[in-house]
Parts: sequence; structure tokens; C-alpha cells
Amino acid sequence: MPKSLYISRKQELPLKGDSTSLFLQVIISIAVFIFAITLSGVLSVNTMLYNWNRSILGSLTVQIMPVNDTNKEKAAAQTLAHQEKAVEFLQNVDGIIKVTPLTDEQLKQLIQPWLGDGVNLDSLPIPRIIDVKLAPDAEINFVDLAQKLAQTSSQASVDNHKLWLSKLIRFADGLKLIASTVLFLVTIITSGAIFYTTRMSLGLHRNIIEILHIMGAKDTYVAQQYGKRMAFLGFCGGCLGLFFAVPVIFFISSLAVQIEGGIISEASLSFGDWITIFSLPLFSMFIAMLTAYYTVKRTLQKML
Amino acid sequence: MGENTNIIEMHNVGIRYDQGPEILSDIKLGLKKGSFHFLTGKSGAGKTSLLSMMYLAQKPSRGSMSVFGKNINFANRDNLAALRRRIGVVFQDFRLLAHLNAFDNVALPLRVCGMDEREVRKRVTELLNWVELDAHMQDTPDTLSGGEKQRIAIARAVINRPELLLADEPTGNVDNFIAAKLMKLFVELNKLGTTVVIATHSDKLINDFAYPRLHLQNRHLHIIQPAHYSMLREKADA
Ligand SMILES: Nc1ncnc2c1ncn2[C@@H]1O[C@H](COP(=O)(O)OP(=O)(O)O)[C@@H](O)[C@H]1O
Ligand SMILES: [Mg+2]
Repeated sequence: MPKSLYISRKQELPLKGDSTSLFLQVIISIAVFIFAITLSGVLSVNTMLYNWNRSILGSLTVQIMPVNDTNKEKAAAQTLAHQEKAVEFLQNVDGIIKVTPLTDEQLKQLIQPWLGDGVNLDSLPIPRIIDVKLAPDAEINFVDLAQKLAQTSSQASVDNHKLWLSKLIRFADGLKLIASTVLFLVTIITSGAIFYTTRMSLGLHRNIIEILHIMGAKDTYVAQQYGKRMAFLGFCGGCLGLFFAVPVIFFISSLAVQIEGGIISEASLSFGDWITIFSLPLFSMFIAMLTAYYTVKRTLQKML
Repeated sequence: MGENTNIIEMHNVGIRYDQGPEILSDIKLGLKKGSFHFLTGKSGAGKTSLLSMMYLAQKPSRGSMSVFGKNINFANRDNLAALRRRIGVVFQDFRLLAHLNAFDNVALPLRVCGMDEREVRKRVTELLNWVELDAHMQDTPDTLSGGEKQRIAIARAVINRPELLLADEPTGNVDNFIAAKLMKLFVELNKLGTTVVIATHSDKLINDFAYPRLHLQNRHLHIIQPAHYSMLREKADA
């Protein structure tokens, strides 16, 4: 008798015949599809946030609008008083290491390109400017800072662009939180589907499992067979989901690039991000395998 | 384990299914290593139930029991698996796996304990030759006759060279010629040191072989030595 005839070993548990296989594979591929798209969103928002954060780090400009008064000297004195109040306030903010109001000389230099030489600053209502240096690791809430600054001095305001960016950052952080919740839920739901189909399958093959036990099989032996099968379904389902997700991700990022203004186009995926996305079938494989393995171990514990 | 230790010990063992009445009560038994017993009793007397406690598929509902010196009340699941590997079982209805061929069915006890596949092939081929089923290695049980299925079931029970062999009416579905051949195999294994318990209905078997009987009647176990057979049969007929 040629040995090759019986060399291919059949699995003791006929899990391939389980009618739930197709269902699970569809569930897993839909899960990975949603997961991949959401994850690519999170990853690109991360790049964007990194760029934005970098651009608001380091320094900050505060403007003191000139006070309006017919008496010019009085007005200038009041403006300076506002500036002093703002400086005092800023110096006591955590994360700010240096507060430097620009001198008249410096202001003149700033304005010169626009107004030319020989301008008498005293006769013009120009805003005063305070240069603020931030600690490198400072975590400053710009919106909060702007509000408090306005309370301190009605003339003081934080540079608009940074304020706007920091609002955008908070919004993006919120989106990220929602997206992470979606990732978490998708994982939980998929594990749940695997949990219940595994339990069903254990009931279906109860007789075979009982015989395996009587022959001396440990729970791990049964759990491994389920683990292997689910790993296969997890990987295949993952590949299928990814296959459909990648064109969608490309399509969305091509839309983002078309938006003018450069804000969204900073939301690109790095090479590392793509590796993360392409390793999703491995992730779904491990989740499926571990869920099935521990479901079997826990369920069998309740059988003799 | 010494010469005189018991392979199986039961004290005040009872078994019931769900909330039903006790099927067996106050079973006291010490099964000596190397012994050979018939297990008798009317249909429904509890032979299968007693055997299933012995092969650790069923826990006693009360009393204490040890197998190979291990009290199973204190055994965890892995302990039980280790004990089961030392026991061979022939089920009344064979319980072969329908989707596996004869070879894979017989290989089962070796594979569940992780034996090297080359050794598995060697042992299974040898044994299937010996039970004259080598021509049917590739066949699934549904294509085999009752007798052939039975031989596969027996091959599966002995492939792991068990210390305890439990057979539930193994000669029930075969003609006398094959029954005699099976008995010869069991006797042979017993001579090699295997402890054997065979549940049977067959008077012929009981009379042909002078082994003691574990007899189940009215939920209780009676141990009957060969000399008393005829007396008991008279009582049962009355
Ligand atoms: N799984 C079970 N659930 C409920 N009752 C059972 C079960 N197995 C056996 N019984 C009952 O236990 C009694 C003994 O059965 P069994 O041990 O199969 O006897 P035997 O093998 O001597 O014919 C019978 O009355 C049977 O109906
Ligand atoms: Mg029976």
C-alpha cells in the first residue's frame, strides 16, 4: 500500500463543513473593511495633528490694540497699561518661559516696510506686540488662554491663526476619539461573532469532542483545532476586507488632496501607516484565533 | 504501582442522570491489576453506566472513586486526560468518527497525545494488518460491515497499549466465530498485563471462559466467582 495515500491527515473535527464558516468570513471581511478605512483616517489625522501641533509649538504672539482717545498721550499711556497687564498675566502662565513686549524701535522696524521711513509712532494708532516663548513640552490650551487674556485686558488678543489651528486640533482629537471607539467596537463585535459561532460549533460537534476526550485529548487539543480554523478564516476574511478597503482609502485621500488650502492635504499616509493597514489580516487572524481558542477552553471547562 | 494495587476503586458510588432515580447505588469495587472480569446484568441494569464511570466520561453522583490510584474527586481536567490515555474503550455502538477513514479512526488515541506521525503510521498499519483490515484503511465507517466496524473500534481501543481495557458488549453484533476470535485477543492482552472488563449478554461467552463476573441487579453490584454461575441463572429464571 503506497504510504502517500493516507499521508494527508484529516482533521478530527470537521470544522470546514460548519455552515457558519461563510457567515464568519463575511463578518470578518466587513469588519476589516470598516477597520481599515477608519484606521487610515486615524493615521492620517495623526500626521496632520503632528504638523499642526509643531506649527503652534514654540512661540506665540499677543496683540494689544491701541486705545482710542482724542488725547493721544492719554491713549498711549492706557495702551501701555494694557500691555503691562497682559505681560504680567502671561508671565504667570504655566508653560510660558519668556514674555517680551516689542520696544518702539522694534515696532518701527516691523512697520517700516509698509509705511516707509520717518513715521512718528506716537501719532499712529498701531497695535503693540508681545512676543511669547513657550516651553518645548508646554501643553497650552490656546482657547482657554485667549479667554483669560481677554478678561485681563480688553485690548489683548492671541494671534488668530494659532487660535484657529488649536480649535481645529481639538476637533480632530475628538474625531480621533470617535474613530478609536469605532475600531474598538468593530473588534468587540467581531470577537463576539466568533465567540458565539464557536460555542455553536462546540455544541454541534459535542459527540466528537466527547470521544476525543475519552481517547485522552486535553482541552488544548480541541482548542488548537478551533484556533487553527479560525485563524484561517480570520486571515482570509481580513484579506478580502482589505482588498475592498484599499481602493476606497485611495479614493478618499485623492479627494482630500484636491481640497485647497493645504490643511487637509497634510493628512497623508506614511509608509509605516500603510504597513500597519496591510498587516490588518494578521491582526484579524490573531483576534480570531485567540477568541476561538479561549472560547473553547472556557466552554469545555463546563463539560466533563 | 505494586502487584496488589487496585486499578479502579469505588466506595459507596451511586450514579443518576439529571434529577432521575439512582441507576446504581452503593457500588463497592476493587479491580485488581491484571484481572479479567465479565460485566453482566439485564438490559438497562446499568452496565454502560458503570463502564462510563470507569472510563471517566461520567462522574459518580456520589461516593468516591479512584482510577490508577488517583482520586478523581480531586483530579483536574488535565489529570483526567492523562488517566484516560491509559484506558482503552470499545463502545457498545462503536462511536467511530464518521468522516474519518479507518486509518484515522484507529490513529486517534495516538494523535491526541501528540505522537510523532511516523510512529503513528507504523503502529496503525501494523495493527490494521493484524485485524485484517489493511485493505480498508481508506474506507469510512459507513462503507464497512458491522464486523469490520467492530474490529476498527477494537483496534482503536488497543492501539495505545492500555493498562485497562473496557469493552461494552463487543461481541453483541458478530457471529460466534468472530466473537471467539475477539475473545482470544482480549485474553491475549490480559496475559500481557492488561486489566480487562467486558460487558456481555452472551451466556456462551460466560460459560466458555471461567472468569469472575461483576453482576448488576437491582441497582447493586454482586461479584460472582465462576463456580456459582449455574446457581445464579436458576435464580434469575425463577
Ligand atoms: N444519558 C442518559 N440519560 C438518562 N438516562 C440514562 C442515560 N443513560 C442511561 N440511562 C438510563 O440508565 C439505565 C441504565 O442504562 P445503561 O447503563 O445503558 O444500562 P445497560 O448498559 O446495562 O443496558 C437505563 O434505565 C437507562 O434508561
Ligand atoms: Mg449498555
